[in-house]
Amino acid sequence: MTSRILALGGHEFTSRPPDRAVSELMLRLATERAGGRPKICILPTASGDTTDQIGSFYSVFGERACDPSDLSLFRLGRRPVALRDHLLGQDLIYVGGGSLVNLVAVWEAHDLGALLSLAWRRGIVLAGQSAGAMCWFEAGITKSSGRPAVAAGLGLLGGSLCVHYNNEPERRAAYLAAVGDGMPGGYGLDDHAGLLWEGGGPPSALTARRGARAYRVASREGGVSEEPIPARFLPAPAPATLREDIAEFRRIAGMRKRAGWLG
Amino acid sequence: MQRSLRQIVAFGGGGFSMESGNPLLDDYVLGLATRNPERPRVCFLPSASGDADHYVVRFYRAFPADRCEASHVSLFRREQGPEDLREHLLSQDLIYVGGGSVISLLGVWRAHGVDEILRDAWEAGVVLCGLSAGSLCWFREAVTGFHGQPRRVEGLGLLPFSNCVHYEPGSDRRLAYHELLRAGMRSGYAAEDGAALHFVGAELSRVVASRPQARGYRLDALGDRVVEMRIATTFLGDGPGFAPLVPVPEAISTAAAA
Repeated sequence: MTSRILALGGHEFTSRPPDRAVSELMLRLATERAGGRPKICILPTASGDTTDQIGSFYSVFGERACDPSDLSLFRLGRRPVALRDHLLGQDLIYVGGGSLVNLVAVWEAHDLGALLSLAWRRGIVLAGQSAGAMCWFEAGITKSSGRPAVAAGLGLLGGSLCVHYNNEPERRAAYLAAVGDGMPGGYGLDDHAGLLWEGGGPPSALTARRGARAYRVASREGGVSEEPIPARFLPAPAPATLREDIAEFRRIAGMRKRAGWLG
Repeated sequence: MQRSLRQIVAFGGGGFSMESGNPLLDDYVLGLATRNPERPRVCFLPSASGDADHYVVRFYRAFPADRCEASHVSLFRREQGPEDLREHLLSQDLIYVGGGSVISLLGVWRAHGVDEILRDAWEAGVVLCGLSAGSLCWFREAVTGFHGQPRRVEGLGLLPFSNCVHYEPGSDRRLAYHELLRAGMRSGYAAEDGAALHFVGAELSRVVASRPQARGYRLDALGDRVVEMRIATTFLGDGPGFAPLVPVPEAISTAAAA
């Protein structure tokens, strides 16, 4: 089974074309892995399991040919889940954005790191954006403490990643400085650009928005180099035809159902 | 400056999170903030809930500006909060920890160094309190029921005891606590919803309650028997000038393994 990781520089579950294109790619990767109707789980840990992040995930995958679920580590009191069985039963695990430092700390507290590594080796697709993309690398640039700073990830992938490359100049500057200071090099990803690792080789770059790019970032004599990686364009699928009012109702009902955390 | 007492008030459950319309426990902890009695500084840590917005809003409603100087620290949104966590937390009179997942709470605190800061705050006389996960976190060992099956977790260890919250008759947690004590968990304290254990230093000073029947308990294992002492508890609803009861045993029972 091929190990796959999809790292995204910035993605949201909205109906905007670039977001739809990326969501569609995830559904395709999950369906390939399942050989049929896939199971897709969101881990919203980095956000503190916000209802917004969970609700927007269901608003996209709730109407598609898949079985979506969410695993809220802050709500296990209300909704106990057998973590291992649930995660290893998925075809794709999506990790949302937020605080990279908190994400890694909470996963460590719940012993999730080793479990996700096992899931990856079993060919369960690991995907994520922002903190949920950097977490797979040895290190990333996080704003978990306010200012951009280096933070460790799980290290399934060697090197480092910096997200929101086009949108957050201060994050990019901190990344270039860190690589210049000896942090392992890696990649910069614009919003709606991504890198897909399949098996052992180098990743392939993809972009869902014209102009969004992936960069190879490396320390060179006398500085740090940034080289754009040729990327495949992901077109957006036709918009879903579900009536707006029905979609809205389902979204709100889903969020209500999943709200509540006190244990 | 009267800041030498190290105080922790551990609620079994209650306060604004669980007892809408009954402010007795929240009033009690606010009354302990004696450095600035006119306008105590109170900081809410909702980390165990993942810093849930609705929980933060309810805190500010329960601790309005005319009674105290309220603030909160969200460790998921550090860019919005005080830049210097240590300075902010050490300048408080009362730190109030909300409920949720104690495992996630401890993970996030350690990642931001809040565990060390809270120990220093306690040593400096800042009153620490909280319910549920916000009670368990102060003890050496605790029983968490957050994953369905109750199990043992290690807290910050400011109090050298074990702790169990929501200690209601016949609850899974109560049975699990007895089981863990028989298996070697250190002696400790439990509190029902509405009861709070007030420690000064590492000594239980008194048990107070927002409900007349709510109680705190002391638990010890003797061989394969668990000795449970119900502790005399001061009901806070009897009006001003209550005479706090000393925490003597009210009743003693022993239970052998089921």
